[in-house]
Amino acid sequence: MNVRSFVQLVVIQATILRRNTGFWVTSIMTAVLSMAVFGWLFNPDTQPFDLALVDEDHSQASRSLVEAFGGIDNVEVREGSRDGEMASLQDGELGAVVIVPEGFADDLGGGSATLPVFYDNSNPIRIGYVTTTVNAVVDSYNDEVVGQSSAVTVQQQAVSTQRVRFIDFLTPGMVGMTVMWVNLGVGFLLVTWREQGILRRLGVTPLRPGSLIASQAASFSIVSLMQVTVVLVMGHFVFDVDIHGSFLWLAVTVFLGVMAMLSVGYVVASLLKTVTSVNAVINLVAFPMMFLGRSYFPLEPPPALKPLIEAIPLTHLNDALREVVNRGGGLGDLWLSWTILAVWVVAGFGLSVRLFRWQ
Amino acid sequence: MEAGEDVVLAVEALSKRYGSLVAVDGISFQVRRGETFGILGPNGAGKTTTLEMIEGLRTPDGGHITLLGLDAVRQRRSVQDRIGVQLQSQALWPELTVEETLKTFSALFRRRLSLEMMMERFSLVDKRRSLVRDLSGGQKQRLSVATALVNDPEVVFLDEPTTGLDPQARRSFWDLIHDMSGEGKTVIVTTHYMEEAEELCERVAIMDHGRIMAMDSPRELVRGLDFDNTVECTFAGSVERERLLALPAVHDVKKENGAHFLFTTDVSATLAGLMGLTDGNGERVQSLQVRTATLEDVFISLTGRRLRD
Repeated sequence: MNVRSFVQLVVIQATILRRNTGFWVTSIMTAVLSMAVFGWLFNPDTQPFDLALVDEDHSQASRSLVEAFGGIDNVEVREGSRDGEMASLQDGELGAVVIVPEGFADDLGGGSATLPVFYDNSNPIRIGYVTTTVNAVVDSYNDEVVGQSSAVTVQQQAVSTQRVRFIDFLTPGMVGMTVMWVNLGVGFLLVTWREQGILRRLGVTPLRPGSLIASQAASFSIVSLMQVTVVLVMGHFVFDVDIHGSFLWLAVTVFLGVMAMLSVGYVVASLLKTVTSVNAVINLVAFPMMFLGRSYFPLEPPPALKPLIEAIPLTHLNDALREVVNRGGGLGDLWLSWTILAVWVVAGFGLSVRLFRWQ
Repeated sequence: MEAGEDVVLAVEALSKRYGSLVAVDGISFQVRRGETFGILGPNGAGKTTTLEMIEGLRTPDGGHITLLGLDAVRQRRSVQDRIGVQLQSQALWPELTVEETLKTFSALFRRRLSLEMMMERFSLVDKRRSLVRDLSGGQKQRLSVATALVNDPEVVFLDEPTTGLDPQARRSFWDLIHDMSGEGKTVIVTTHYMEEAEELCERVAIMDHGRIMAMDSPRELVRGLDFDNTVECTFAGSVERERLLALPAVHDVKKENGAHFLFTTDVSATLAGLMGLTDGNGERVQSLQVRTATLEDVFISLTGRRLRD
C-alpha cells in the first residue's frame, strides 16, 4: 500500500468517526460528567474526618496551636495521650494524629519548631484532604499567631507522602476509560462495515487486511489523542490536576492503550457476525473492565479476582497513566504496565490478522 | 471460441463447496477481450460464488482461473488492481460524501481516472458534497458503478446490477453497460433477467445447480432449440401430459407452477389441436400465450424450471 492510500484511509475513517457523533461524544461526556460529579458535587476528599491532638509540652504556645485546630469545617477534633491516639489511628478511627512535642515552646522561641503529624495511610483518597487541612492550619498559625511563615514545620510521618486528591486519582482513570470505550468500538465499526458489505467491497480492491487495520489504528489513535487532550485540559484548568510526568511517556502510554483496546475490539469483531452481538459483547467486556480496571475507585479486590484484574489491559493503562500524571513516573515505573499492554497488542493483532474476514 | 483469439479470462474446472453443498461444480469457460459475457441463472445457481472466486473474494476448492494473463488466486492483488467490481449490495459508506467516496476508492489503485470526469460522466457533480446516506437510489447506483470504474479497469464484473431497479432505471443502466463495452472494456455480468442477457450479452452461459448447462450467443441458444415457438397455457381442471405431447407439432411439454409450456415447431397446427382437445373433453383453456422462443425457453427446456418464480 502506498502512502497516498494509507493517508486517504486514515482521513476518511477519522471523518467517519467524527460524523458518527454518538461514537465519541458518549465516552467523552461520561468522562466530563464523572469529573464534574466527583470533582464538585460528591467530592470524597471533603468527607469529615477525625483529628487527634496530643499536647506534650503544656505550654502557652502549644495551647494556642491546639486551639488553632478548633473550628475547622468537616473535622472533628479531640485531645488525648500519645499512646491512646496512636492506637486509635492504627484502628482506623482517625485521619491523623498531631503531636505537639515536649520542648515545642522552647524550639519556637529559638526560631523553628517541628510538628510531627501521623497520617492514616490506608485511604489514598482522604490523605490529600487531611494533609491539606493540617498544613493550612499550621500555615495560618505561623502567619497569624507567630508572625513568621516557617516557624512551625510539619513533619509528615506517613508511609505515603503524596498529596493525591480524588480528582487527581480520577482524571487519569477517565482518560483510560475514554480510550477504552472509543477503541473497543472498532469492533462495532468493523462488523457494521461487514454487514453493509463495505468490507466485501474493499476485499475486491488491492487493499490488504493488514493495511486496513493499520490505517484504522492510525485514525483511532488520532481521535483518542484528541479526546485525551480534552479530558486532561479540563482536568488541568478546572480541577488543577497537574501532569507531573513527561508528555512523551504520556503519549506512549496512550498509544499503547489505544492499540491494546483496538486489538480486543478486533478479536471480538473477528469472532462475531452481527452488529447486535458485537454491541452486547463489547458492553459485557467494557463495563466490568471499567470498574475492575480502577477507572473510578481504588478497589482493594478480593484475592480471587486479583489475577483477573492484573490481566486486563485497562488496569495497566490506568496504572501507567496515574504513574505519569500523578507521580511523574519514569521508565522504571512504567515498563511493567507497558509490557503487559504490549503483550495484549501483539497477541490481539496477531490473532485478528489471522481471523480477518472480508465477509 | 476460436483458438488464438485474445482470451482475457479463462476458467478451468472451477469448483467450490460449502460443507456438503456444491455451489460451483467444475465449470469451465473463456471470455474474449472486449466481450460482454453473461452468466444467466436463477438464485442459488452459483453465479455469485463464481464471480467472487474470479474477483479474489473467495478461494476456489479446485480448478484454475487465468485473468489478464495472471493467476487470479495467487496473484490476486495484481489482478484486483486492474479489474472493476460492482457487488450485489451497494457497499458505500453512508457517512461520506460523493467526492470523498470516489477519492477513497481511487486512492486504492495504481491507475486512476480524473474524479471530476467521473462525477461529470455519472451526473454526480451537483451531489459531490452530499452524504451518501442522503442520495436517491438511482444516485447511489451511479456512484456505486463509478467506484467500480475509478481505476479504468480492463475487465468489469457486475453482479446482478439491475436487481431491484425499476424498468426505467434498468434501461439507463443498460446504456451504461453499452458505454463500457463501447470503450473496449470486457464486461462480465450475472443476471436472472433473460431480457437483460438478450439485450446486453454477446455470449451467455446458462447456469443451474453450479453447472453450466449451455453457452453461446443468445441467438444461437434460441436457434439451437428444436422448436420455434412456445405456447404457454393453463387449464381449468387437470390435463395429462401425454395428451399434450400427442398434439400436432409439439416437441416437448414442461409444467411449471400450474402452467404448461408446449414447445412447438408449428404454432397453428398446435393451436388447432389444443382447441380440439378442449372442445372434445370439457376442459377449458383458462389462459393462452404464444410467443417466439426466448432464452427463458432455453432455460425451461434445459432445467424444466423458469428463471424466476
